[in-house]
Amino acid sequence: MSSLDDIIDIYKRDVDRTLVDASLARTVEERIRAPEDFEAFLEELRAQVAGRRDTIR
Amino acid sequence: MSCCGALSVAGVDYILVGGVAAAAHGSVRATQDVDIVYRREPENLKRLVNALGALQPYLRGAPPGLPFRFDTETLAQGLNFTLTTSLGWIALLGEIAGGGKFEDLAPHALTVEVFGVKCLILDLPSLIQTKRAMGRAKDLEAVAELEVIRERMQRS
Repeated sequence: MSSLDDIIDIYKRDVDRTLVDASLARTVEERIRAPEDFEAFLEELRAQVAGRRDTIR
Repeated sequence: MSCCGALSVAGVDYILVGGVAAAAHGSVRATQDVDIVYRREPENLKRLVNALGALQPYLRGAPPGLPFRFDTETLAQGLNFTLTTSLGWIALLGEIAGGGKFEDLAPHALTVEVFGVKCLILDLPSLIQTKRAMGRAKDLEAVAELEVIRERMQRS
């Protein structure tokens, strides 16, 4: 065991197994598309928030 | 992923590594760029230029206006390029820590068909090996998740 293994073991405690299991239930294509869809959602959200900021000013 | 479509249609020899490969194996960690290891053989460099040349490739993070030319000569003289394109960020890697060149990685790659195109994705054990070799905190976090995925898959 190296110190890297010790660090990885600590990080493993925080891995959300429910999210991993949900991801493993998807197809490869769905797994790749999921972060892309999330990024598109974030882009839309950022645009909406930026618009609200302009309104507040 | 659209960059990969362009690469596959142009017949480029490449292997998906990094965050997108991790996502394909089940990772839920966010990634914003596509990392590929490309074969550095002259004909493949031509195909790479043909595939990405029309997508306004430019050095990511560089100030605008630099005389960057995305051609086979530039690719041959460099090794790893992190680029912006009209289809998103892509890192073209001639080799990676813990994995080596395309030829070293090819025996450890899986062929998958996504979005109508076939592409090679680095297998899970090799992906873990490359992430460990990178050794940054974010890579070790990624290794932790990938090892959990490997344990889950071995159990099922």
